[in-house]
Amino acid sequence: MPSVAMRPYLAIARISWRSALAYRIPFVLSLCMMVFNLLAMLSLWRVLLASGHPLAGFTWPEMRAYLLVSFVTGCLVSSFTDFTMAFRIQSGLVALDLTQPVHYQRARFAQCLGMTVLESATAAVVCGAALAAFGAIPVPALPQLALFLVSLVAVVPLKFLIVYSSGLLCFWTHNYLGVSFARAAVSAVLSGALVPLVFFPGWLRILAEVLPFQGIASTPALIYLGQASGWDAVRLIGIQLLWIAVLWAGASAAWNAALRRLTIHGG
Amino acid sequence: MDEPLIRARALTKTFRRPDKGPGLAGSARHLITRKYTEHHAIDGIDLDVAAGEAVAYVGRNGAGKSTTVKLLTGILVPSSGEVRVAGVVPHQDRIANARNIGVVFGQRTQLWWDLPVRETFTLLRDMYRIPPERYRATLARLTEVLDLGPLLPVTGRKLSLGQRMRADLAAALLHEPPIVYLDEPTIGLDIEVKDRVREFLRDLVANGTTVLLTTHDLGDIEDVCRRIVIVDGGRIIHDGPLAAVRDELARERSMHVQPAVPVDLAAIRAALPGTEVSGEPGEFSIRFDRFAYSAGQVAAAVMGLAEIRDFRIDEPGIEDVVRRVYEGGLVESPTGAPA
Repeated sequence: MPSVAMRPYLAIARISWRSALAYRIPFVLSLCMMVFNLLAMLSLWRVLLASGHPLAGFTWPEMRAYLLVSFVTGCLVSSFTDFTMAFRIQSGLVALDLTQPVHYQRARFAQCLGMTVLESATAAVVCGAALAAFGAIPVPALPQLALFLVSLVAVVPLKFLIVYSSGLLCFWTHNYLGVSFARAAVSAVLSGALVPLVFFPGWLRILAEVLPFQGIASTPALIYLGQASGWDAVRLIGIQLLWIAVLWAGASAAWNAALRRLTIHGG
Repeated sequence: MDEPLIRARALTKTFRRPDKGPGLAGSARHLITRKYTEHHAIDGIDLDVAAGEAVAYVGRNGAGKSTTVKLLTGILVPSSGEVRVAGVVPHQDRIANARNIGVVFGQRTQLWWDLPVRETFTLLRDMYRIPPERYRATLARLTEVLDLGPLLPVTGRKLSLGQRMRADLAAALLHEPPIVYLDEPTIGLDIEVKDRVREFLRDLVANGTTVLLTTHDLGDIEDVCRRIVIVDGGRIIHDGPLAAVRDELARERSMHVQPAVPVDLAAIRAALPGTEVSGEPGEFSIRFDRFAYSAGQVAAAVMGLAEIRDFRIDEPGIEDVVRRVYEGGLVESPTGAPA
């Protein structure tokens, strides 16, 4: 029985995935792009690992698992959230969001969760197909699997906050496309979604480990593989949660600052 | 006790505009030495609106009408001054304020573009936590008055401007707010829809809702509002009963005439003393005071001298009214405000 206070946000989540169904074509196109990416990465690593020698501790089945997990986390929280947000801020439609009896940040998170329902479903389907095509992957034992699931769930708020924070930059930049591309590029590398962090040179690896991005791909993938287990896994999940808390508070403060400089021209 | 429902004191909103020189060099220089011009969109507004009052807030484009509404609704944070609406400071307690108000922007819609209108309404029901029976009753009433029945299953993007406005009015009123702000609600609508919206607003006011209506079209407020506030250059230049403004400041009419054959303007001036005749013998305009002459009298006088091929009558626009406020010495011209 959901509480009364949750009712507005549940309604927002529901209408969000309903409206996502209205955007079938862009949704399918972006999914195709991600599947293409996944296939390219799988093919590339298959060649690199063809000799049978593990690279930096990765065998071919492990690398398959790593890439699949990072594909799943890549599907969650598409840039739909920040693009709609950016559009509403730049066009002035945000004025209407500000007259609704909901917290702006919580409402955007609810919207993102609504989309996640749809994204998880498609990710699951694609994973099934990839497993059939490229062969099975190792499945971790139960306690490790539980840790993995926690870290996977934590990806959603963490990734949302990264995307949402960059969306807020609209108040300062006026052109969002550049910000969005920059964020996507930085996050693709530093999250470990393209190449696991162990392959990075020392300085880049340190940078990746102090920034929040590793939490949206590398952390769940390493926990799934058992490369981070026990306390090590708990520590990585702790870092995810810490970043969620920091970014949530930071984004709230940024939002309040942004409102002071909000300008909406015309009627 | 008797605190007005809406109360603004010395309300000011200043925007900073980047001051860029021309061309690429100007943009480059702006990156290093940032210069800004301060622009007072609203410059010290004092406004009290009592519960149940219907106020027309009029002014030219850029006078500060919309900015005032955005400050009263809590969308913008004031640069200085105070504002309280139903005991709440709107920009500090947005959620409490949102429950008290309904907002309609003529140029923006809160309907979901890709979903049926009904879905937007359901979302609003949950957002405002309207009890189901209450929601059903209100929706039924609004559906009847605004003739929404055929619109409910249609997606937002497929509505015409007039249909959209009707749906947006309903969306803003579903939670039965005691205060309603309407920012240029009839902009771009055709006459028939405009009339319907006005009639709806009249009923709303008659039922005790406090209404603040901004517009630059004086026709909008006739019959809806008793009180008119005129803004110019971010300041209130006149505040009083609408009837007085209509009789004192908006008494001038212009008749534009195209005669079948050119006429002597001097003869027309002689036939209509006290009017102002301008133009060419082949196409001219007569400005007259509607208390001195009726339109029929003016037309009859012209027809006595020439056959009329075509004519039309202009009501005074907001531009005329603002000019008359300054001319009439009702207020001093605000210093520093661009004319």
